[in-house]
Amino acid sequence: MATTKRKMTREELILQVIIFSLGFFFAFVYYVRVSEPIDLQAVSQQLFAYLTAMLTAAFAIGMINLTRVHWINIKRKRATWKFSVILIASLYGMAIVSLISSPFALDPQAAVIPQGVINLFNPIFDFLYYKVLVTINSSIFSLLAFFIASAAYRAFKARSLESTILLLAGLLVVIGQAPVADVAWPGFATIRDWILAYPNTAGQRGILIGAALGILAFSVRRMIRYPWGR
Amino acid sequence: MIELIEGRIAQLILLIIVLAAIYEVTRIARGRKMKTRGIPGLERLDGWIKQAGTLDRSVFFTPGTGAVTYPDTLAALALLEYVAERCVEQNVKLIVGNADLNVQQVAEDIVKTAYTKAGKAKEYNPDIVRFISGRQFAFAAGVMGILRREKPAVNIFVGDFSAEALAIAEAGRSDAIAQFGGTTNVDQLPFFMATCDLTLIGEELFTAQGYLKNDPDTISTYVGPDAGKIIAILLILVGAILVTFGNQILVSLLDL
Repeated sequence: MATTKRKMTREELILQVIIFSLGFFFAFVYYVRVSEPIDLQAVSQQLFAYLTAMLTAAFAIGMINLTRVHWINIKRKRATWKFSVILIASLYGMAIVSLISSPFALDPQAAVIPQGVINLFNPIFDFLYYKVLVTINSSIFSLLAFFIASAAYRAFKARSLESTILLLAGLLVVIGQAPVADVAWPGFATIRDWILAYPNTAGQRGILIGAALGILAFSVRRMIRYPWGR
Repeated sequence: MIELIEGRIAQLILLIIVLAAIYEVTRIARGRKMKTRGIPGLERLDGWIKQAGTLDRSVFFTPGTGAVTYPDTLAALALLEYVAERCVEQNVKLIVGNADLNVQQVAEDIVKTAYTKAGKAKEYNPDIVRFISGRQFAFAAGVMGILRREKPAVNIFVGDFSAEALAIAEAGRSDAIAQFGGTTNVDQLPFFMATCDLTLIGEELFTAQGYLKNDPDTISTYVGPDAGKIIAILLILVGAILVTFGNQILVSLLDL
């Protein structure tokens, strides 16, 4: 289905002018230093500071979205409403605890919040952050070991010439990586290093060069919105 | 005072040459019916979306964990536009999961626009585009939960991914969900290849939307970067020959 051309609206046009101007400006200051009459490098750093502020403001919008979606779940008593209660309690509970006692606390000098309250919240923050959040994060991360094993089992099957080459290369790298390989035959380590340094790097760089050129063309297309009006 | 920044002069010259080559090739290719190698299997995406509608199951889409400024994320959002339009057209339920708050805003806007364009603005609800978590593994756990609970027929995960990609992909695989992946991250690509029915490799991610729309003008822009590839290959060949014979002139020129 071919896409039809359409005229851009006034709002789209204004937005496109902003996108092009900022894109061109940042590319320009990356290559050219302009110190007089205006220090363009300082201007670009200032713009980055505004960007950081905008990105931070988006946190509030994220919290609103999460609350809205899960509040609807609870209100309509959907199948997973109990999880939504836990999510909202965790979200706001952790936010309150972090604002009172954490490296980013609002009043670390206890000017407004009594020191007793901060002391009370210290172990709660430590427990929630280090004993719950960090532990859960590590648990999910450690699942990857099993996922890698099952993905490798599926990938390493000699169904065609290409997959047989992949299987052999994979096996040689795995054997070369194992400590026992050095004892069995030192040549395994040499083969592993050769596979990683040459065929593997060549393939990766090919993909990276293609991707970099794709990014370049994609960015230019976005900047000038070509094909126009699509 | 205006001066070129040292160490970036060669980059700038190379950029101008590559851009000029891309422009020229695109200009020549424009308006012509280009014969491309295509992206094998990409046309199956439409069929999968249709099938999801027939099975009364949803389509899950995530643009990854990258920021809105990442090219991979932007390419994924461009693909989301296509997927959202097809889902609205076929009356298929779409679920979009995000890990970045700014991406969330853009994704919401894209999906809302798809509903509005189709004259179904009232059918849009905030449950479609969900912010899951900004933390990598909390996001992975959230997506795995959606795949397990809501059992979508298609799992489309294209964009910027790190270690969480394999967790998501394996969860989808174990539930026999049709999987469509894509990234430029070479560390994650092997996992995508092992777990997805269709994978967009590197630059294919930036061309998928155009191929799917089958628009000659858009496709002509994909031929342009091939001129850049020829320049890169020539530089690699000349550089390898010169360095083999102990000549560092190209290395010195590129360091300018």
